[in-house]
Formats: sequence, structure tokens, C-alpha cells
Amino acid sequence: MSEFATQQDKYVTFKSGNEYFALKIQYVNEIIVFQEITEVPESEDYIKGLINLRGKIIPVIDVRVRFKQEPIDYTDRTCIIVINVKETVVGLIVEKIAEVVEITEENILPPPSATIGHEDKTQNKYVYGIGKVGESVKLLLDPDRLLKDEDLTMLEKVSEETDLEEGE
Amino acid sequence: MAEEFNTQGMLDMYLFENGQLLERLQEIVLEQKDEDCFDEDSINEIFRTMHTIKGSSGVMMFDEITKISHKLEDVFFYLRESKPDNVPHLELVEHVLQVADFITGEMDKIQDGETADGDASEIVAEIDKFLTAIKNGEGEQEKDIKENVHEEPQQFYIAPMATSASHFYKIYLTFHPDVQLANVHAYKTVYALKEIAEDLMHYPEDIISDESSADEIIENGFKILLQAQCSEAELREIVKEGYDIKKVEVYECSAKEFQQGFDSFGTEIRIDLESSVEEIEAKAEQAQNAESANAPKKEPEKQKIAPGDFVIESKEPGKGKKLAKDKPKKQEKAQFISVDVHKMDMLMDLIGELVISESVVLQNQDLKVPGLKLDNFNKAAGQMTKISTDLQNVIMSMRMMPLTNTFQKMNRIVFDVSRKLGKEIEFEMIGEHTEVDKNIIEHISDPLMHLVRNAVDHGIETVEERQASGKTEKGKITLKAKTESGKVWISVQDNGKGLNRDKILAKARKQGIIDPYKPDSAYADKEVYQFITLPGFSTNEKVTEYSGRGVGMDVVVSNLASIGGTLEIESSPGQGSTMNLKIPLTLSIIDGIVMEVGKSSFVIETGSVKEFVGAREDMLYREPSGEEFVMIRGEGYPVIRIGEWYNLKDYKADPNDGMLVLVEIEEQIVCLFVDRLVGKQEIVVKPIPDYIKKVKGLSGCTQLGDGSIALILDAPGLIE
Repeated sequence: MSEFATQQDKYVTFKSGNEYFALKIQYVNEIIVFQEITEVPESEDYIKGLINLRGKIIPVIDVRVRFKQEPIDYTDRTCIIVINVKETVVGLIVEKIAEVVEITEENILPPPSATIGHEDKTQNKYVYGIGKVGESVKLLLDPDRLLKDEDLTMLEKVSEETDLEEGE
Repeated sequence: MAEEFNTQGMLDMYLFENGQLLERLQEIVLEQKDEDCFDEDSINEIFRTMHTIKGSSGVMMFDEITKISHKLEDVFFYLRESKPDNVPHLELVEHVLQVADFITGEMDKIQDGETADGDASEIVAEIDKFLTAIKNGEGEQEKDIKENVHEEPQQFYIAPMATSASHFYKIYLTFHPDVQLANVHAYKTVYALKEIAEDLMHYPEDIISDESSADEIIENGFKILLQAQCSEAELREIVKEGYDIKKVEVYECSAKEFQQGFDSFGTEIRIDLESSVEEIEAKAEQAQNAESANAPKKEPEKQKIAPGDFVIESKEPGKGKKLAKDKPKKQEKAQFISVDVHKMDMLMDLIGELVISESVVLQNQDLKVPGLKLDNFNKAAGQMTKISTDLQNVIMSMRMMPLTNTFQKMNRIVFDVSRKLGKEIEFEMIGEHTEVDKNIIEHISDPLMHLVRNAVDHGIETVEERQASGKTEKGKITLKAKTESGKVWISVQDNGKGLNRDKILAKARKQGIIDPYKPDSAYADKEVYQFITLPGFSTNEKVTEYSGRGVGMDVVVSNLASIGGTLEIESSPGQGSTMNLKIPLTLSIIDGIVMEVGKSSFVIETGSVKEFVGAREDMLYREPSGEEFVMIRGEGYPVIRIGEWYNLKDYKADPNDGMLVLVEIEEQIVCLFVDRLVGKQEIVVKPIPDYIKKVKGLSGCTQLGDGSIALILDAPGLIE
């Protein structure tokens, strides 16, 4: 309970492109320095491959590529955020880790796409809210959607519909 | 919260322990299902098992399980105490299995988080009926039987297996009056005599459960009638006076007297045996002064035992007791503890880590400074490497389990199905101790079950059919396992009617599976038999009827394929069929060849590699369609360039730089073109995380010694 309380409203923020993104700290297992990646052929471009995390082999995805930003070369500032979403452990390659911040409920706004309707902006698919921290703004990431394949959302809809049909 | 967690722990323990007990129970029962009755050890063990299950189920408040186990415990209590000989053995076996099934079923429900809501009352009622039946079968003798201490079932006197060498003795033991639990001491003697006895009876009869017999023994002495081949001197060696036995009297008597039982005991002592006149006189006196503390002996005043009632054929063949003695001594049971599989996996990962950090330390850049003296370091490092290698081997072996349980399950299936179909089948297991990785065992249980059931159902003929074709009435199914060249070979063999080649061919033609212009003779037997494993072919009932095989054979094959196993069918008409399963020993560790292509490492199982050939440009030919071939010793093989196949960067395109690996896949040879061979090593197979979509030709990944990751090539996947 106490652990939960201290983690409440805490976010890990990182920089990708010009924006700062934030991930709920509960999803984050650890942050490791960049290490050698083994490519897996025939997988999506944003899936960079596999890394060996102390004997555990986990996939890593490049957040920049995922957000359709220009890929950049990995440097010694490049980090891998290991997140665990519903038992799936995945590493996120990010340009730079910023800091851990606290964003309380009242400082979270709905994402612009929901209000204005710019649905074509890819990164909005992954952003469920905008957090204000002082003067700056962090885009709150939905890790679930981040990991999922674009097509999956479509598929899910279809399967939900079929589920309904079957239910009848 | 904490409380709930605790109950869960208890429940897990309950399920685990009882699961083991039930497995053992079935093993015992099936082991002796073909005998006439259970031997003493088994009765005791089944009794104890039921008692334990009853107790723990009571604590966990699973009332139905408690009830049913209590009922079976009752039956075995009766068997243990009374040793009735008229027990319909098969019926009893069925009852035990029924109970085991019921409890297993309930436990499955509990495990799945459901309520154990099964109703045991029907089975309980049946067992009740059964118990009453065997009790009634004993009739008036029942009371006597209850007092009987022999392991042997009660029988009226049948001519003893007396040979001329057999002697009959009357033994009269007098115990010190201050001996505690004289009945136990008496039993000790009886027990010792049993070793040599052809026949033995004693009075008082019930010296085990009736504690008052102790007083009786002290007061009146303990009488034994013995038929044995030993001499009196030998007998006296066994029954000696000691701190507990005050006096041993041994008299030889005739077979007739022996048959008269204890009736003749007193009189004969008086009449025949002058040597002990004083004794007898003393006894007579004592009898009159029975109250006196120093008068332990007294002739029994009334002998209501009829002669012969207690005479037992001790060496009648086929009886439980004898079997128990003849049975080869059980192998010493290994001690086990149960460990959470996740912990095992964790340990495995940690050891992998250890190996990697070891290589990081041993190949550290800092050590490469010129001029360093590293003798001691190297010595210590060598020692460490050895230990970590040992550690790796141990953890690998920990995942291996014998096939015994799986085979035992098959025994049960043979028993059940053959009973249902009214067939007589003998089941034999060979090599059930063969060890296989736990994961594999989980995967072969179902296919094996299919095959065994098929063998019983369709393979073995009915008794009439077997008689008609001049075979033994009893069919035979043999389950065999062995390890050979890194694979496990399991075969299910029956001596039934075999597969009908013509019928299968006819069916295959009808279904359009085979080339209509090819004559039947163009197909080898093996090919023909493989047809029954085709999906659709097997589900067709007509074929099943004709060929006698096929229920879910395609399922069997696909299940096996999922763990890299194969099925081969042999059959000869009229003599039976053999299903040969070839399965990898383990899924988690394979012996692999590590190869490099571009920056990536790949591993391929050593077993599938035929040979390595250094590539030369003039060996390769490209067809206009783009397919590439290599000519090696006059034979052409298709070439797969791994780099090209997977669109890798920086791979060597020039054939002169690379290496050709000839791989055999299902009797087809394919040539892989790689940059470089790294070496051969044992690798721990890990799945590619689910998050990454399945890639054709890759079956997993592994961690190499330097911590980098290699992808495991799955040869069959490459040619699909």
C-alpha cells in the first residue's frame, strides 16, 4: 500500500524528438544503458531486435521509429527503459532520460486529438493525456498502445464485433 | 489477505501430495491387477494411502473425498485384518481405480478453482455392497477369521504339501509371567517360524489386535502347530529360551495329530510324551492353582476350535503371500523434493548469467596489459570454469524426468479400454526409466495415449478372432523407450491384426490423395501407412473400420511435430503393428552449430547437419527463376543464402568467402550458405518473446558464451 502511494502520480519522462514523454512509473521495471542488439529478421522496423537482460531475452523497440520520427544514431546517452505491460517485458530505446516527475490528476488534460480531431498524427494514438509540470508539458504515454501493432487496434475491433455476434 | 494466501499454500500442498499418493496407488493396483489378490504390502500401502487422503481431505473439508476414501479404507482394513480369500480381485481393482478417479477428478476441480461438488455416494454405495458381499462370503467363519493372525486366507484343510521330509511339531512356549505384551513376543516367534513353515497355526489365534491374548499367553502358554522340513534341533535354534521365553517344548507328532489341531494338544502332551511328565504334572497342579502368580501355564479348558479351521496352505502357488516373497526387491526409492518450475527457470537464467560474467572477467581488457603475471589468476580461473560447467550440467539434468509416470498412465488405459471391450491384453513396459525433459513429457502424453488406445481398440483382435487365427488369446501391447543418438525412441507395439494395406490404398485412391496413374505396387508399405496420418483420412469412420486405425492420427503427428518429433509406422498383416516415435531428448538444450552471417549469429541443431563444404564460385548455379543450386559430387542441392533470405546487412555475397552447410530435412537435403562457422556448442533454447511475430525458419533464440544472442534456425521451417 505504501509503495503504491509513493508511486502514485509519478512518471518517468524521456525526450524523443522535440517532445517530452511520460510513462507511469508502475510500468517501468528498470532503466539500463544501451547495449548490443541482435536483430530479428522480418520484424517491424521499430522492433530493433533482442537484448540479453541478465539471462532474459527481451525485445526492444525504438520509440523514435515507433513515433515515425527520424531515427538517430545511438549514443552513450541512449537508454533502454524496460517496461512491463501485462506480463510483456519490452525495452524502449529512448534518446535521453529526463527525470522522474509528479503529475497529479488535476494537471492532466485530455489529448488534443480527442478535442480537435487530428487523428492522423501518429503519436496521438499513444498519448492519452497531457500533463503539466510547471511551465513544461509532458505527453502521457499509454504503454499498452505503444507496444501494440497498429493493425491490432483494427483487429481488436473486428474481434470485439465477432465476440458480440457470438454472444447473440 | 495473508490468511487467504496461507490456505492457498496448504491447498497446493494438499493437491500435490495427494496427487502423488494417487499416482502411486494406481501404480500398485495396476502392477498386481493380473494376480489373484493383492499382496500384504500392497494392502497395507493402499490402506495407508487412503488413510492419509482421508485425513488431509478432512482437514481441508472436502467431505466427499473424505467419505469415499474412508469407505475404501474400510475395505482394505477388512482385507488386512481378515484376509478373506474370496475377494473378486478384478472387481476390487476396479473399485480402487474408481475411487482414485473420483478423487483425481475432484482434485482437478479444486485446482481449477472450482468447487469440488462431485457426489461420491454412488461409488460409496457400490463399495459398501462389495464389502458386504465379501464379508458375507465368509459366512459363519467370519468371527474366526477376524481372530486369525495369518497372512494367508482361511481355508479348510486341504492335503498339505507334505513330503516325506516334512515333520510335524507341537511347540509349547511358556513365557515369564512378568513379560509385558506377551502377545507381541509370541508373534515374534510366529514370525520367525514362518520363514521355515510349510504350515503353521497357533493358539491363541489373535495375538495382534487382541491385547487380552497377552494374559492368556502368560497364563496358559502359547501353542504352535508347525509343519516344516527342518529338524527339531533346527527348530530349537529358531525358538530359543531367552529373557522373554521361559521354556520351549518341542514335540514331534504325526500328520494326523497335526490335522486334529489344538484339540489333541493337551491330551497328547500327557499321553505321548513321557519325557515331560513332570512338566505336565506341574501344569496340572498349576491349573488348579490358576490364581497363583507363579502359575503361568494351564491347559485350555475348552477348545471350541474345530480341527482344520486354522490350517492354511501356506505355499499354494499364486497366492498373495508367495508373490510378495517372489517379487524382486524394489529398487530403492529416490528421495524427491518438489520445486517450483519458475524457480528452476530462474536458476537456469542465473547460471547463464554467471557463465557470461565469467567470460567477461576472464577476458577482461585489463588483463591484456602486457607484462602482467597471471599464473595464479589463470589457475583460479580454470577452477572456476570447471565449477560453472558442472553447475550447468547439474541444472540441465534437473529438468530430466523418467517416463515412468507417463507409461503408468498407459497401463491404466490398456486396462480400462481392454476391460470395456472385453479383450484380454497383456501390457509390457520396457525402459520406462528413460529420462526425458519435463516439457517433452508433457507433450508426448496425449499422442501416446492415442496410440495406445488405438492399439487396444483397433489393433488387438477380440478373443474369438484371435482364437480363429490361431493366436494366443491374450493380446500383447509393448511400450518401449530408449535413448539413442540424442533422441528418445518410444514405440507402441501390438501383436494384433496389423494394418490393411489394400484397404488404405483403396481409400487413398477414393480420396484422390495418390496419383491415379501410379499402380498400387509403386507405393512402399511405409508410404501407404503414412496415409493414415493425413488429416481427414483418419477422421473418416469407414477407414477406421477397415484399416483398424486412424482415430486422430493426424493429431498425433501434429502434436509430435510441435516438439520436433516424428512418427513412423511399421506393420505386418496378422502380426501386429509398431508405432515408432522419435522425439528430441530435450527442448531446452540442444547441441548446435553456431554460424555467423553478417553481424548476426545463427545456430542450427547438430543432428540435422550432414556436412560442411567450403564454397567455391564454380559450384553454384543460378536458374533463370532465381533459384540457386550447388553441385556437390555430382548431386545438385538447393541453396538458401541466409543473408539474402533474411535481408541481413553486410553478409558475404561472394561464394568464395562463405561456407556451405548441408542440412537434411525430412529426407531432403538443403544447403545453407553462411559467412563463417563459429563452432559447436550446447545451447540453451529460449523462446523468442511473443511480442515479436513468428519468423519463418526461426524456432527460438539463445545466449552465447559472450552474452550475445543467436537465433536458432529451424530447418523444416526453411523449406516450407
